[in-house]
Amino acid sequence: MDTVLENGRTFVEVAEIWTPDGDRLALSGGVYGAHARFAEASRTESFAKGEGLPGKAWAEARPVVLKDFDGSYFKRTDAAKEAGLTCAVAIPVFAGKTLKAVLVVLCADDAERTGAIEVWAEAEGILTLADGYYGAAKHFEWVSQHTQFPKGQGLPGSVWSAQTPILMRDLGSGYRFVRSESAGQAGLTTGLGVPLQVPGGATFVLTLLSAKGTPIARRFEIWDARAGRTAKLIDGICDRDGPLWDPENAGREREATVWEGPVGRVLGTGLPVTETGAAARGYAMMVALPIHRGGELSHIVAWYC
Amino acid sequence: MERLVVIGAGMASGRLLEHLLEADPTAYRVTLFNAEPRGNYNRIMLSPVLSGEKSFAEIVTHDDDWYAAHGVTCRFGERVTGIDRDRKVVIGERGEVPYDRLVFGTGSDPFIIPCPGHDLDGVIAYRDLDDTNRMIDTRPGSRAVVIGGGLLGLEAAAGLRMRGLEVTVLHLAGHLMERQLDPAAGYLLRADLERRGIAVMTQASTRCIRGEGRVEAVELEDGTVLPADLVVMAVGIRPSVALARQSGLVVNKAIAVDAQMRTSDADIFAVGECVEFAGQLFGLVAPLYDQAKVLAATLIGQKAAFAPKQLSTKLKVTGCDLFSAGDFGDGPGREDIVFRDPARGIYKRLVVEDDTLIGAVLYGDTADGNWFFGLIRNGTDISDMRDTLVFGPAYQGGTTADPLAAVAALPADAEICGCNGVCKGRIVEAIEDGATDLGTVRAQTKASASCGTCTGLVEQVLAATLGDAFQMPTAQKVCDCTDLSHEDVRRLIKSRSLKSQTAVWQELGWRTPNGCHVCRPAVNFYLLADWPLDYRDDPQSRFVNERKHANIQKDGTFSVVPRMWGGITTADELRAIADAADKYDVPTVKVTGGQRIDLLGVKGEDLPAIWADLNAAGLVSGHAYSKGLRTVKTCVGTDHCRFGTQDSTGLGIRLEKRLWGSWTPHKVKLAVSGCPRNCAEATCKDVGIVCVDSGFEIGVGGAAGMDVKEVQPLVKVATEDEAVEWTVAFIQLYREHARYLDRPYKWLAKVGLDWVQQTLGDAPERKALVDRFDLSQTIYQTDPWAELAVREKACAFAPIANLTLEAAE
Repeated sequence: MDTVLENGRTFVEVAEIWTPDGDRLALSGGVYGAHARFAEASRTESFAKGEGLPGKAWAEARPVVLKDFDGSYFKRTDAAKEAGLTCAVAIPVFAGKTLKAVLVVLCADDAERTGAIEVWAEAEGILTLADGYYGAAKHFEWVSQHTQFPKGQGLPGSVWSAQTPILMRDLGSGYRFVRSESAGQAGLTTGLGVPLQVPGGATFVLTLLSAKGTPIARRFEIWDARAGRTAKLIDGICDRDGPLWDPENAGREREATVWEGPVGRVLGTGLPVTETGAAARGYAMMVALPIHRGGELSHIVAWYC
Repeated sequence: MERLVVIGAGMASGRLLEHLLEADPTAYRVTLFNAEPRGNYNRIMLSPVLSGEKSFAEIVTHDDDWYAAHGVTCRFGERVTGIDRDRKVVIGERGEVPYDRLVFGTGSDPFIIPCPGHDLDGVIAYRDLDDTNRMIDTRPGSRAVVIGGGLLGLEAAAGLRMRGLEVTVLHLAGHLMERQLDPAAGYLLRADLERRGIAVMTQASTRCIRGEGRVEAVELEDGTVLPADLVVMAVGIRPSVALARQSGLVVNKAIAVDAQMRTSDADIFAVGECVEFAGQLFGLVAPLYDQAKVLAATLIGQKAAFAPKQLSTKLKVTGCDLFSAGDFGDGPGREDIVFRDPARGIYKRLVVEDDTLIGAVLYGDTADGNWFFGLIRNGTDISDMRDTLVFGPAYQGGTTADPLAAVAALPADAEICGCNGVCKGRIVEAIEDGATDLGTVRAQTKASASCGTCTGLVEQVLAATLGDAFQMPTAQKVCDCTDLSHEDVRRLIKSRSLKSQTAVWQELGWRTPNGCHVCRPAVNFYLLADWPLDYRDDPQSRFVNERKHANIQKDGTFSVVPRMWGGITTADELRAIADAADKYDVPTVKVTGGQRIDLLGVKGEDLPAIWADLNAAGLVSGHAYSKGLRTVKTCVGTDHCRFGTQDSTGLGIRLEKRLWGSWTPHKVKLAVSGCPRNCAEATCKDVGIVCVDSGFEIGVGGAAGMDVKEVQPLVKVATEDEAVEWTVAFIQLYREHARYLDRPYKWLAKVGLDWVQQTLGDAPERKALVDRFDLSQTIYQTDPWAELAVREKACAFAPIANLTLEAAE
């Protein structure tokens, strides 16, 4: 199968996975696209707890957004700048108290591309924006910084209360997504909210808001992985295939089996997976992120671009 | 080509057209009427559209292109005003259409409660896209009240909450979705919704909707007023049959059809929610699709027959995983298999009858729902897999549930030892620092070093933290429904704020759906003692004497004992008692050891009447049957006796008036003697006060039953007020700490008199105990006779059938 590059411009340029190896994090997989030099620089790298971006996400047990590499703790600044990468988000994946991996996504050209990767954190019963990367969606960034979500409200609040990943459609088109007006202006169309469990009981919700022109993903999938050896596709939307769920098919949802395909690999290992090309249904990049609840794998979210 | 007219573009008729046009695209020229200005869409997916998780475009099942491609003439936005069966024409608002065959797919209308204000602007149903859009267009931050806690109401509530509204759900029954869920699953669902910020009120009956022109508030029967900008009524649906009735078709509750979906007119058919088949109505989508298939076959001359099947239910609220199927009511010969995982909020209940699965309720983990549903539908013999059935198809000899789960799930700041304020985290720290047995933990943390009721819990924390390295002593469990001891249950009810029986069953991992005759009375008492304002006493969890408010005798009759405060009565009261004994043919009148008069041999059905008569004379129940205050026995004291040192009768009356009506772990008997000669036998009572010249000696923990115990001296006080305060505080401490059915002497043997004296010796603590007792009395100090003597409740005492009078021919 040929790799499909629908218009070539996506919001995320690089996705990589760092897994614990002894007391350090080592690269265990990644999709680097055209950025071979950055890939090269990453392959020789490793991070101790607290070191660099992945090490910081590990040590602080929370997702970390880094919007300026210069003078920061980011260790691969030169290679990143050479590749035109300007921002990175590190998402730690914990199963109970155990760090399974750190997923790092890197973005570029923040003046031209629209999208949002947000981290919402709970304090005193309310979710507020801990940090976020918005590319060119400056007004939406401002609105988000001034929006709060109680439990059950909006995409972040709903993910928090349901402890389940949620996919929202038509963010800006007349539906009253809490931030719809500004989302509409920014061209944001689809939102994926993911609950992140970290040790210590702090609440974090990661949201990926995708725009048509420079999508974070052209295909989103949410899998229910609680059965253990199989996962069921419970929601999804795809630019090519349309809705991926079929309400009349309840009980006979699409299934992924352990160790078969990238979703099956997540099911088997509990680790995130990145793929490209044929293994990614022909997309240039796919990321599958496990969601652990109470120390056990409960859901898998996957996005393809 | 014959002409087929279909009225209504709902889910059933949409599916019918699909089957029909696929099977024989040339059989009919189809005209489709729909009052909504749009074609077929998947109505059951409106909830995700409301929440924003789906877009409307995604739930359209047939778009304009599909109708065009299949040659369907669409008359959308046009109401059908009549049908002329003689001329075989359908009369629409924009003209007539002749038919050879006609199909009713008119669906149903939402039921609107006809309360005052139901027609105000802002009161809507939840039925179609227009209703959905109305909800979507309501400003975030507005207040919405959803009337109806069924599937549809809860989906509306969750969607509105995601849209940023403040949502309250009102539900008439005692728990949510009572038709699909048992109380345990209803409890979990409610907790889930409340976690989302949705307020839930059960047993809430709407009196009226208030507002000038548009809705402003909802008023409940109990007088509660809930401000509202939007009211969504989701209390049910009614088949839409006006047109069918007007056309002269046979209509019962809905349009009557045969198994081929044919109405009383051979050329007219009906499918979907507007249909009644064999007395049954249909609201879920699965049978509607079956009907569509059958009708499509019928219309092209094939043989098919509709047969209703078992149904299963799922709620479309992301993160609320519930599933129910089959029959899960109680019944003789039915057995329950229950699995609970409190830490993960999971509840599974399977109902088994004659080795087949007949019902399933799953909450929190519904992955195996369809597998269970298959077993129910197929009537599979499950005897071989009964032991592992509840674990589902993937079960491969795994482990059984961990009895420590409830304790392991406690957060670090959960209080384990209330006396010394030690939380779980502190105990775990001590264990991590090397304390591996109870004694060391006690020495280092003081946990379980005072009253000792938390000992079992501390041991479980040890076991949960150390695993195999700790050997659990075998604590006596409440019953086979749980491995927890009474003390554990009491402690967990407090530390985890469990305020209902369903909460206890679920959060503490009960193995039965609703407990058993052993644990229910105990849990009922613990809940009412700890949460007097939140928990409502459950008479069904009481022994027969407490349910009947009278002691049952060996011949099935009852005894009636009116209260006589401190053993004092009057000539009028005695006359009333004598009259009652005459009127109700009471065979035995006996003076009891506690200085009361017992009317023995009263027939069950006479109880409400005799109570009413005694009530009329100012007498109230003596609670001679209850786990509560029985009697305060007194001697005559200073009023009459030469030796009396204090007003023992007055103190006795005062204590009885303060304490009566309170529930306690076991019966409580008091006595006040006016001097050390002890004519009232105070030294063998649960609380016995002996008056002396310098004040009052209070003794506790006496008994004169199978065990004979002399009271232990609790304290000596100078004034009557202090005597009352100490007595009340002691009773409350006993209520809060003792295990059910332990008399005070047994409880004292466990916790030690020292601890009791120390606790009650602390004046602020003593006062707090008295305050808590008085608070509880605001709820429970009521005369059950007065409540039950009223006509409606009295009927519960009537005999069901008197078979002894039947002729023996």
